[in-house]
Amino acid sequence: MKKLFFLILVIAFVNPVFSQLDRSKLPEPGPASEIKIANYESFELKNGLKVFVIENRKLPRVAFNLILDVDPVLEGENAGYVSAAGDLLRTGTKKRTKDQLDQEIDLLGATLTTSATSIFASGLERNKEKLMEIVSDIILNSVFKQEELDKIKKQTLSGLATAKDDPNSISQRVGRVIMNGKDHPYGELETEETVNSFTLDMCKSYYESYFRPNVAYLAIVGDINKAKAKQLVEKYLSKWEKKDVPQMTYPTPKAPVVNKVALVDRSNSVQSVIAVGYPVELKIGSDDAIKASVVNLILGGSATGRLFMNLRESKAYTYGAYSSMSPDRLIGSFTAFTQVRTSVTDSAITEIIGEMKKLRNEKVDEEELQKAKNLLSGSFVRNLESPETIARFAINTARYNLPKDYYKNYLKTLNALTADDVLATAKKYIKPNNLYLLVVGSGDEVAKNISKFSVSSKVDYYDTNGDLYDPSAKKIPAGITAESVIKKYVEAIGGRENILKVKDKITNMTGTVQGMNLTITINQKEPNKLYQVLDAGVFQQKTIFDGTKGYTEGMGQKTEFTGEQLEDMKDNSLHSMLDYDERGVKYELTGMETINGKDTYKISFTQPSGKKSTAFYSVELGFLVRTASSVSTAQGTFNQTIDMDDYREVQGVKYPFKMNQNFGPQSIELTITSYEINTGLPDSLFEVK
Amino acid sequence: MKLKIMVLFFLFGFVLSNAQTKKIDFIQYKLDNGLNVILHKDNSTPIVTVAVLYHVGSKNEEPERTGFAHFFEHLMFEGSPNIKRGEYFKIIESAGGELNANTSFDRTYYYQVMPSHQLELGLYMESERMLHLKIDSIGVETQRKVVKEERKQSYENRPYGSLVEKLFGNAYKVHPYRWTPIGIAQYIDMAKLDEFIAFYKKYYVTQNATLSIAGDIDINKTKELIKKYFSEIPAGVEKIERPTVVEPPQTSEVREIVYDKVQLPLVLHAYHMPAQGTPDYYALNLLTSVLSGGESSRLTKEIKDKQQKAFFVGTIPLALEDPGLFIIYGLTNVGVKPEELEAAFENEVEKVKKELISEIEFQKVKNQTETQFVTRNSTMRGIAESLANYFVYFGNADLINSEIQRYMKVTREDIKRVANKYLTKENRVVLYYLPKPAEAN
Repeated sequence: MKKLFFLILVIAFVNPVFSQLDRSKLPEPGPASEIKIANYESFELKNGLKVFVIENRKLPRVAFNLILDVDPVLEGENAGYVSAAGDLLRTGTKKRTKDQLDQEIDLLGATLTTSATSIFASGLERNKEKLMEIVSDIILNSVFKQEELDKIKKQTLSGLATAKDDPNSISQRVGRVIMNGKDHPYGELETEETVNSFTLDMCKSYYESYFRPNVAYLAIVGDINKAKAKQLVEKYLSKWEKKDVPQMTYPTPKAPVVNKVALVDRSNSVQSVIAVGYPVELKIGSDDAIKASVVNLILGGSATGRLFMNLRESKAYTYGAYSSMSPDRLIGSFTAFTQVRTSVTDSAITEIIGEMKKLRNEKVDEEELQKAKNLLSGSFVRNLESPETIARFAINTARYNLPKDYYKNYLKTLNALTADDVLATAKKYIKPNNLYLLVVGSGDEVAKNISKFSVSSKVDYYDTNGDLYDPSAKKIPAGITAESVIKKYVEAIGGRENILKVKDKITNMTGTVQGMNLTITINQKEPNKLYQVLDAGVFQQKTIFDGTKGYTEGMGQKTEFTGEQLEDMKDNSLHSMLDYDERGVKYELTGMETINGKDTYKISFTQPSGKKSTAFYSVELGFLVRTASSVSTAQGTFNQTIDMDDYREVQGVKYPFKMNQNFGPQSIELTITSYEINTGLPDSLFEVK
Repeated sequence: MKLKIMVLFFLFGFVLSNAQTKKIDFIQYKLDNGLNVILHKDNSTPIVTVAVLYHVGSKNEEPERTGFAHFFEHLMFEGSPNIKRGEYFKIIESAGGELNANTSFDRTYYYQVMPSHQLELGLYMESERMLHLKIDSIGVETQRKVVKEERKQSYENRPYGSLVEKLFGNAYKVHPYRWTPIGIAQYIDMAKLDEFIAFYKKYYVTQNATLSIAGDIDINKTKELIKKYFSEIPAGVEKIERPTVVEPPQTSEVREIVYDKVQLPLVLHAYHMPAQGTPDYYALNLLTSVLSGGESSRLTKEIKDKQQKAFFVGTIPLALEDPGLFIIYGLTNVGVKPEELEAAFENEVEKVKKELISEIEFQKVKNQTETQFVTRNSTMRGIAESLANYFVYFGNADLINSEIQRYMKVTREDIKRVANKYLTKENRVVLYYLPKPAEAN
């Protein structure tokens, strides 16, 4: 019975003998239609707001899309306030409470969302004026309230919690850090700490500084003509005041010199999330951008790309494997990504790198090239269906200063590309030897197998906040306590008695910062008097502290110590390591870390003021080798670390003769030329006038 | 009171006539072999969507072959005597098209969006796999592994990934909705080649398929091409099986706690609801907007914004061809207990059961529904799918234009009534997702 069944099937399935059609050839395409890109109109208000009107009467709706063209902000220790400012825009104005805003928008059946650099509103044509009025109310009259910020922070913290468990979110977050570095706006992350630290004033200041018409583009799309749009915009947005907006420049992240392997250990993962990438200098609308998009499409831009065909259709490692090549105004990026079962993690990486090499080394054949061009052309034409595409073209043309006919010529430019162009572009932008390889997966199972992709066989472990850690970090040995670590340090540098003998001290040091030579002289007298002169040639800075008050003076500016800084100065005594308990400083042994190849004990200090800092003590020698703290300045809060090395004895006490201070993105190497002890510094030196 | 409602209706009547100027015109007919055809012409952009809906989903599967319909969706790209393995995607993409497919409880849907001068190619490709799909062991073996990775990526390696399985497994005891389209991996391993072929012969036949085309076409020429490629496909001879089993009413609350690798607890209430297209279904849809449509909706305003108990709250009327589920769910904010969120859900549900929603609120949800309805037909891809769905599920593709009237028939009293009828304790499934306690080392 079964056999018969099968026989019939063979006839029915394999030999379509009854077909009157010749099905062995693909049908020829019909004559191609002319590709028309819809027109748009534009005008500019006196305040600099540039408006684009894309009339499209297919549906009875109108959408307003406002975009700010501003440089991203480096938020440092306060990461999150810019995005919170965007959320706060939706929480009330001088005219409307949040409840009223919500109610009015919903009653219109409309949508309105805000971000730090955009406002989008869409609704029925008949509600367009009301919607425009609400948008203008938000732009002109937003009121930021602490209680709303508190809600947003709570939501943000919950969002961070969910991101911790989602392997794709982890990969995206940590990938950003690795590729751009935390000192770049693209590389900094919101964490619990940064979210807790930013303030309402920071959000307000962002809104005040950046929400300005002279940096804004407004696209109005849908069932509306230019005359009506102009009337609305003039009525509701001409009062928007222009103002110069801060401009920023950042160092350009670079691809690594050799391949680097990073791992986020997510135990119990049944798959590895693999992301392979590097920063790419590729500007939106540049000549290379179209070429690079073809290169990427061939490699992994579709479900017939080489990565997909290899990793899914041939090897069945995965449900999908793709790559992206994203141009950007600051720094673009290339990433190849896939999720594979744990056991084939290294094989999958090998295949990805192999495909990248092949693309650099072998010319693509004409058929594959033509397919890529057709796919991109097809995608371009499909996107024309949406009037929002025309809005994007209009804004991009203005924003990135593209040739007026850039999009009109897109298909022509694309079709003119040759296999030689593709090869040259691949050689320029595909870098199989300059990769960051990031795996989020089960560390136990994959770490060893992926170390081979690193020249030094090293796997860097990252936590979900993009911070490096040492997985082999030792457990604190039994019997070691914060007290014993501090005691050992005191003994190591000479003992309590010798330390107490130091009544005053002069430290002379030299260093360089950003190419400038520095000379620093620090005079200290017990208990906590300070007189410091920093000479950088072009300017001098003087710091005086008499034990209770003081100031810093330089470049014609004098700043009195107040608040946190004042507390820091008071705490900075010659014998501070001897009397933590007396001063009410709490300290705790919180772990072990490897610093510059040496094991250290990590102790966290909390001042009575609540200020926290961390110190690291050599396990072997007992010396203090690093301090870390955060410092608030007018520019924001920064992490400061000071590394100490080369301890040598001067009159019974050992001092470091090398220091390396890292402050935000800045690094200063300091060499101590001499310590002078008990020279009898007079009190008058420390007098605050 | 009554007068006011009349006025409101009058207002809506006006609005509707305005919206109707954007009517979607279409032509519908059937080939001799039973293939249903729907054509919509719109020449504004030179693209065309060619889509085929097969009326087979996971509910047509055997209990010991779950995942079959979805697995078959993968096999449908494997080729034919004229299309080599791995070529299906390439051919469409080389012609500048995009394509994909998806499988639900009730149906499997395939589409390609092509430059309009490649319409004939799109028709040829769909006709090839409807006429004589090639099913061989290489393709089956490869797709077995791929689907396992899909299962891991979408369900196993993702927080809350088992939610849908847990939900439907608890809500249905006899109806085939008790398993989900991704199915159980082991069954696909057990299936033999001839089972795949038999499935194809039974369900992938002309009389179970609807060909939906929308875009830059000439109607007469398109009809000719459809005849050319599809009329020679023989009709299926086997009886198409549709489940007739009716899930008996649930009589007491079902509750499960799932421990997963998550940080935030999730709380979900799912109430059994009637099938899509029934009058109560429309009332429940408006109730969804009352509860979670927009920032001013009750759950969002009260629980998320005011009480700050939730990171996220949502309501989904998961209507299916057979009776489905009305789902209320949310993630707690950090530090909030799931019990508090559940109590907050119950509190809001009690309110809609006890009191009529206000007239302004009623107008709001109708406005939201109308806006969604008149602005959703913005793409050819969306229109082709809506036309096919309306035809297959309701037997009336014109609902793409007129279904809004069914929503507008709903009264405030209906909303209160359905809340009382369906949102009861004994009619629901409650799921908690809680963080896994630290594993013992």
